[in-house]
Amino acid sequence: MKLLKLIETIKTKVTKKLAYGILVLLIVFDLIIPRHEVHFFGDKIPGFWSVFGFIACVLIIIVSKWIGRIGLMQDENYYDK
Amino acid sequence: MISEIFNIQFFHPSIFYILGGLLIPVLRGKVKQGYMLTVSVLAFISVINMPLGNYGVYEFLSWKLTFGEVDKLSKVFAYIFTIMGIIGVIYSIHVKRDGEHFAAFYYVGGSLGVIFAGDFLSLFLFWEMMAFSSVFLVWFRKSPSSVDSGFRYLLWHVAGGLILLAGIILQYSVSGDLSIQYLPFHGWWPTDLQSLASYLIIIGFIVNAAVPPLGAWLPDAYPAATVTGAVFMSAFTTKTAVYALIRVSAGSEMLIILGVIMAIYGVVYAVLENDARRLLAYHIISQVGYMVAGVGLGTQMAINGVVAHAFCHILYKSLLFMGTGSVLYVTGTAKLTKLGGLYKTMPRTMIYTIIGGLSISAFPLFSGFVSKSITVAAFGEAHLTWAFLALMLASAGTFLHTGLKIPYFIWFGKDQGIKAKEPPWNMELAMVICSLFCIGLGIFYKPLYALLPYPLHFEPYTAYHTWETLQVLLFTQLGFFLLLKKLWCKDTISVDTDWFPRKGVKVFMRFTKPLANLEYKFIGEIYEYIIQKPIMGVAKIFKTIDTVIVDGAFNGLGQLTLALSRKMQKTQSGQIQHYAMLMVAGFIALVIFVMVLS
Repeated sequence: MKLLKLIETIKTKVTKKLAYGILVLLIVFDLIIPRHEVHFFGDKIPGFWSVFGFIACVLIIIVSKWIGRIGLMQDENYYDK
Repeated sequence: MISEIFNIQFFHPSIFYILGGLLIPVLRGKVKQGYMLTVSVLAFISVINMPLGNYGVYEFLSWKLTFGEVDKLSKVFAYIFTIMGIIGVIYSIHVKRDGEHFAAFYYVGGSLGVIFAGDFLSLFLFWEMMAFSSVFLVWFRKSPSSVDSGFRYLLWHVAGGLILLAGIILQYSVSGDLSIQYLPFHGWWPTDLQSLASYLIIIGFIVNAAVPPLGAWLPDAYPAATVTGAVFMSAFTTKTAVYALIRVSAGSEMLIILGVIMAIYGVVYAVLENDARRLLAYHIISQVGYMVAGVGLGTQMAINGVVAHAFCHILYKSLLFMGTGSVLYVTGTAKLTKLGGLYKTMPRTMIYTIIGGLSISAFPLFSGFVSKSITVAAFGEAHLTWAFLALMLASAGTFLHTGLKIPYFIWFGKDQGIKAKEPPWNMELAMVICSLFCIGLGIFYKPLYALLPYPLHFEPYTAYHTWETLQVLLFTQLGFFLLLKKLWCKDTISVDTDWFPRKGVKVFMRFTKPLANLEYKFIGEIYEYIIQKPIMGVAKIFKTIDTVIVDGAFNGLGQLTLALSRKMQKTQSGQIQHYAMLMVAGFIALVIFVMVLS
């Protein structure tokens, strides 16, 4: 099971540090990337899409959970009652 | 006409599935498996050889029916449908129940019929065929809940079909023309008969495209379907609807708003969802939202994007349904709360599913990247910034759920110590083929772009675009791991718009008791005096006639027959020579009779 060993290697803490490194690199390179397709103001701000991605993710989780709590989420046998 | 349909150049691919399906119950074992595979491959070959033009035109009553309108748009859909037909057959080839194969064949055949239909009447015919065959893919799961889901699925589709039919009839009465034509709808409400016709037709289509609030059938039925049935269903119904929308309603502005709502709606529900296959079903809604919005924008670039996206979507979404379906097949559940730690026993299935997840999330080098970018860029170019940003937000959500949540909670998460193994070879083969397509299309996208209906000058792999996508996706990943605690699922379901028919209807049930009392006490009395008593009087007269005349005649006939058969009884001696003699006598009598007559 080479595949299994590979997956367990990826699971270690080193990967986590590597992932943070990649995130930093993403923002750093965004300062120097050439911009051909400027559709709106956000395309001119360096790191805009990094912030957008993070905020989008947090917003989706929190807002959806809130909507779920106020009534969307029900017991599994809700319709049978 | 017959020669036209049997023309070597144009052989309608539905014929393979519809006539070919008939032989499935006759064949057994390996022969049947080989046969099904051959039929699906032949259908694909017939699409490759198909020249553009109109074929299979019939005069039926006073209408002209066209079964084979082939242009670039219908051909690219036919390609992906027949490819998916082959992959679907491979994935389901181990299934023993003939009915399931039969239903799947008619379902695929119906969708190909819709693609090539040149008039609304034959479109409607195949449209209904799809609904009535696919419902069996739900019912064959054979659990009580899937029987219920199947009935609800059918009700939604019959309702949608009737609205579509109403639109078609109105369109015919207004224009006297049944051929499928461009009938865009502007605004939100119809103003005259022509716009009412296009409005009803659009509603009929968007029921099948699962546009909320008319799309609750999708997350209800797909997770209730069989393991293999869901793979077929994820590919065909919504995409034929997208095709029909492109043909008839491209550029209808309401579709932009509905599409963007859809894209986000699916993402919101996916956060709450515990059943992996229902989560994927909500992401079909989200992905089809991109397509519906693109159709609404209606520019050549947007339509190209929609078609490319439908093509890639069918492959990666069925791959995801295959991956989670395999988990369901092996472990017996697809609920995230009951799964975890499967990377030890099903690592290969995990890799295929992650490939599907990266493709749907539009990760660079995967198929979604080269297709979704076109539609989103079309919105950027049209300077519809709100729609552009909303679609980018939905992209983040897509990666969050299909790329991260599903793999994490099924294959890692909390190890539940489930005994599992990789699925049968044929299921794995189908997943390998799909994975290769997902990666292949992500790298070699030029052949796909060449198939699109309009010329396209678009380069997905520009430095900035690649970088923009990577930033959104990887920072979504950061958010996922930081908020992981919030994402653990609970054993719940989420209420969708089908609450109204399923639960809201119970409000009306409260009125049934007083209504029943009213009916019994008041209406019942009136009924008795005004209707029942006079009827009983008339009935009495009839009864007398009946006993005396009709019964008398019947009794007489009966007695006659009895007497006759007593006589006949004597000829039935039970000895073969007597019978032979009677037969010879009868034969001679017959010969004489014929001779006399002539």
